[in-house]
Amino acid sequence: MLQESAPLPEALANLLGLDPNSTLVMILMSLIGAAFIGSLMMTNTALAGPWAKRKITAAFTDRIAVNRIGPFGLLIIVADAVRLLSKELIVPEGVDRPAWDLAPLVIASTALLGFAVIPMGNGIQLADPEVGLAYVFATASMASVGLVMAGYASNNKYSFLGGLRAVAQNLAYEIPLILTGASVVIFAGSLQMSEIVAAQSQTLVGPIPSWYAFVNPFAFVLFMIANLAEVGRNPFDIPEAPTEIVAGYQTEYSSVYFVLVYLGEFIHIFLGGAIIATIFLGGPAGPVLPGIVWFMIKIWGVFLFTQWARSAVPRVRIDQLIEIGWKGMLVLSLANLMLTAVIVGVIA
Amino acid sequence: MSIEKVPESDGEIGVTEDGLDYDALADLLGGHVIGRETHVNAEGFVIRPDEVQEVLSTLKTEAGFDHCSCVTAQEYDDRYESIYHLRKYDDPTQELSVVVPTTKDDPTSQSAARVYDTADWHEREAYDLVGINYDDHPDLRRILLPETWQGHPLSKDFNQDQPQIVTLRENANPLQGDHRSEDDPDTMFINIGPHHPATHGVLHVKTTLDGEQIADIDPDIGYLHRCEEQMCQQGTYRHQIMPYPDRWDYVSAGILNEWAYARAAEDLAEIEVPEYAQIIRTMSAEFCRIAAHMLALGTFALDVFGDFTAIFQYAFRDREVVQNILEDLTGQRLMFNYLRLGGVAWDLPEPREEFFEKIRDFLDELPHKLEEYHDLITGNEIFQMRCVDTGVLTPEMAKQYGATGPVARGSGVDYDLRRDDPYGYYDELDWNVVTEEGCDNFSRVLVRMREVEESARIIEQCVDLLEQWPEDEREIQANVPRTLRPDPDKEIYRAVEGAKGELGIYIRSDGTDKPARFKIRSPCFSNLQTLPEMSQGEYVPDMVASLGSLDIVLGEVDR
Repeated sequence: MLQESAPLPEALANLLGLDPNSTLVMILMSLIGAAFIGSLMMTNTALAGPWAKRKITAAFTDRIAVNRIGPFGLLIIVADAVRLLSKELIVPEGVDRPAWDLAPLVIASTALLGFAVIPMGNGIQLADPEVGLAYVFATASMASVGLVMAGYASNNKYSFLGGLRAVAQNLAYEIPLILTGASVVIFAGSLQMSEIVAAQSQTLVGPIPSWYAFVNPFAFVLFMIANLAEVGRNPFDIPEAPTEIVAGYQTEYSSVYFVLVYLGEFIHIFLGGAIIATIFLGGPAGPVLPGIVWFMIKIWGVFLFTQWARSAVPRVRIDQLIEIGWKGMLVLSLANLMLTAVIVGVIA
Repeated sequence: MSIEKVPESDGEIGVTEDGLDYDALADLLGGHVIGRETHVNAEGFVIRPDEVQEVLSTLKTEAGFDHCSCVTAQEYDDRYESIYHLRKYDDPTQELSVVVPTTKDDPTSQSAARVYDTADWHEREAYDLVGINYDDHPDLRRILLPETWQGHPLSKDFNQDQPQIVTLRENANPLQGDHRSEDDPDTMFINIGPHHPATHGVLHVKTTLDGEQIADIDPDIGYLHRCEEQMCQQGTYRHQIMPYPDRWDYVSAGILNEWAYARAAEDLAEIEVPEYAQIIRTMSAEFCRIAAHMLALGTFALDVFGDFTAIFQYAFRDREVVQNILEDLTGQRLMFNYLRLGGVAWDLPEPREEFFEKIRDFLDELPHKLEEYHDLITGNEIFQMRCVDTGVLTPEMAKQYGATGPVARGSGVDYDLRRDDPYGYYDELDWNVVTEEGCDNFSRVLVRMREVEESARIIEQCVDLLEQWPEDEREIQANVPRTLRPDPDKEIYRAVEGAKGELGIYIRSDGTDKPARFKIRSPCFSNLQTLPEMSQGEYVPDMVASLGSLDIVLGEVDR
């Protein structure tokens, strides 16, 4: 199995015939590995993501979408990049400068950090710490800090409301998200990502693999819903809510900063997809095709789901969202956790 | 005809078998009536300016005039005049005009806003444009023009060449505090609009928030004011006015608006419209209604779903079919200018079979489309969660604010001028008035969706009639003199059921070929007044949804 091979930096060092025990070599190899994984994810999120989003939304809404620039409008991203980067960066009066400038960076970079521990198959995994899952959740949650910074520092009441909504929403949904993730940990008996993937490598019944989505579909559904809130897509796109609070925390951002904020959202959706693929869909497991391809297919599947929800489901109100989060999701995820613990305890 | 409604106004003073007995009403008011006028649509009672509240509340409580449709203000050579056009929700053919003259030196009249809430905005407009002061008005400010405007543009001595300098600093203090008051530090003032994704045009809602809940809102209109009334007063009846109505409710309700003017002017000049033309008018007007309701549905979904999502695109896709049919008929997609006084501009497009087939195809498809909408929208639980019991407008409040159209019918007020004050060919056709009892955002959406079905029924019957109409009797235009000069000093208020409600026109003729006073009663203007009532204490998203469910078009609000 590929997952059992060494993490990327070590593999790289071995490949180049360098000494894996030297700190300097490992730092260098880690940087190269990080650059590789970062580029891989950026290709997916920043290049393919916006194009795919356009096409998917268009398919849902009976339109054609981009088709002028390049085959199937694929080069639209070039036009987008030129357009967005050449726009004036407007800094509104009275913004809280360091925080306002840092927020887009925090939003974009925190989500990217999470990919470090995701096993993508074919040995593509930067690090495999024993607390992998906790690390992923921690980095994903840090984006909320960026949202609050953006909302609070923008000196705009819409941004402010958006920032507050983001906090309320993330508080209400991170707990069910993590509790549901914890139920998987109980099954796998480890927080280590490679262990979780390995635990899903058996078959359940007949040809059905023992992915946790099949073992515990209830947890899977809960996690998918909580993930929608986590990445802020309909019906939970409340921190942005264009028709209510203009664009929420991103109202005052333009040009490069806007690109970063927007990119951060995309990476976040993909990170959500990566987590779901790893802990519920068997990670890179799949027949015939190489693991990395299967892994990408699974991430894009989750992306498709978020876009589907976005096109077809109305947005709930902020108070309803909080109610669903605290009174519904939290209770259900706790029940799920208890039940899993009992079942695993009895069987084991 | 299945649409007869039995008036429930039995026992009200002044109601007889064949309409209103104005003498009995005059007796009821006793000495308050100091003169009588005869308008084309109703009698006018002249009263003293300091007895307005007394007279109107008597008429409201004892004679059942619960609908103050419109307040028309105008200036004569020797006096100012406010006319309150009163009607009954149960039977709008029972009308009464209350005429309140005031002197030139002191144009002050008592406000009716304490009796009819709707008079609030109407009187503000009268003050703004004509310059009549209303005593005891809760909040007499300008409404369409900026606060700093000099003079009253519809008054006789207004100097149009006078420079109008409106600086922001004069208009509003940008450093104004964020809270309602010093002792209320928990609230936050926020401007929703004039540029905001949810305002459907240039509407500015001054909002005070308490957390995310609305403590206070004040819709600020007038950004799209284009002096439509004055422009109509400068055009000749016969041809020059008809293009303007298309520009009021400009989202495809053009022919409905044109009909409002056509109806008022035809009744004023006693023009009989040929039956064939009436059928074409009825059909095209209902197409406009479908297009307008589709747009309302799509944009409401946009407000609730929060993005240009599937349902918005579906509504627009299907509206496009209607637009194509209207384009075939009128040659235009937006500014139809299809109706003429005494008829329509031209007959149906040739080949007629093709045109009818296109319509029938659309009508056949429509039920499936509506089913799809119901699946996507009204059947969606999150949508129901968002819309049921939000933006509640009780029937009493709807009447108080003069709400009409789908807004009133969504509150269970059974009021539709197509049936209650028949015009065109409606009373010959078989269709129903749609009402919903929910009084909330959801009901208003349902009413629109069901009205689309009813409009389709009307169109189908019209197409049947038009198909069978003998070829040599296709008379599309009555004989109307090239220059129309109605008799001097005739006054008329006539309304039709526009896409948004009662669209009324008041015209006073002075013997020339142009109206002396042309007043537009916009349904959106009255409907928008209910917004503060609906959203007090609710969340911002609900206010946005309520605004969407009111389906205002700023072109019609501001005129």
